[in-house]
Amino acid sequence: MIAQLFLTAMLCAVMLYASTTYRQAPVIGLIAVIAACWGLYFVWLPSHATQLAALVGIGRGVDLILYVWVVISLIMLLNLHLKLRAQMELITRLARKIALAEASQEK
Amino acid sequence: MSMPPQSNMWVVIAAYNEAAAIADVVADVTAAGYRAVVVDDGSRDGTAELAKSAGAALVRHPINLGQGAALQTGIEYALARGADTIVTFDADGQHRAADIAGLVDALARHNADFALGSRFLGTTVNMPSSRRWLLKAASWFTRATTGLSITDSHNGLRAMTRRGASHIQLRQNRMAHASEILHQIASSDLKYVEIPVTIHYSAYSLAKGQTLFDALLIVLDLFARRLHR
Repeated sequence: MIAQLFLTAMLCAVMLYASTTYRQAPVIGLIAVIAACWGLYFVWLPSHATQLAALVGIGRGVDLILYVWVVISLIMLLNLHLKLRAQMELITRLARKIALAEASQEK
Repeated sequence: MSMPPQSNMWVVIAAYNEAAAIADVVADVTAAGYRAVVVDDGSRDGTAELAKSAGAALVRHPINLGQGAALQTGIEYALARGADTIVTFDADGQHRAADIAGLVDALARHNADFALGSRFLGTTVNMPSSRRWLLKAASWFTRATTGLSITDSHNGLRAMTRRGASHIQLRQNRMAHASEILHQIASSDLKYVEIPVTIHYSAYSLAKGQTLFDALLIVLDLFARRLHR
């Protein structure tokens, strides 16, 4: 029960994070929400996870949950990368403005 | 084929650590009668000073941002000075200023907004076959993703009208900007033509050129760009 509550809290945090991401990166936000929903479902109904795991040939339900968690981590990593790109775009605009202003002063 | 004297044309040259070639490149462009603006992309080897003493106008990025970012800066610089025609030109000595007239002439002759240089319609000197196949694959990919009928997707020698340049807003700072320009040309619905040009490969320019790994990074960059606003 303790583990279930802990994982639920973590997955709820992921959903919150995904919803804040949705405006900048809708695809990433949506995938993260879906993955977190699946995670919550399996945490509270582990027997279903075992059945589904057997169906797709993974073996144990706990392994399936682990895989879902890995997917969520990778999506968050990708989102971080996208945020870095967005930051770089801001830096680029700033640097360009400085460069053009300095070039105009030299004239 | 020569430029009309009243034309306000700028040749934009993006340069990063090109001290070995930039003076000759600027001299080639200015000797042909064109105004050149070199966007020094945070070089640490004296590129900026060499470009300026060779006769180019100079814009200096305070930090290195990438060729795409430098080209966009150069385009904005030229537009702010009332340019009616803008030519993009590589800094590594692969291009010849003699080809510029043909590109600019094609804009008027075909009533087009973009004239794109093509080495596969024109000539290449010392081009390795691996580079040829890499570029052909890139062109095939670009044709498939943009619908543009082009033979050379990664040629930095191109001319555009003021209207065409106003439609270009590069957000790919690095090498993926060449594909990004073509995507923006496709979505602008403006007319484009491909014109034969000559590309001279040297040991210097080949060392700076793109590899298969770079091509993969370009594809990833283009994909990542589509994932966020």
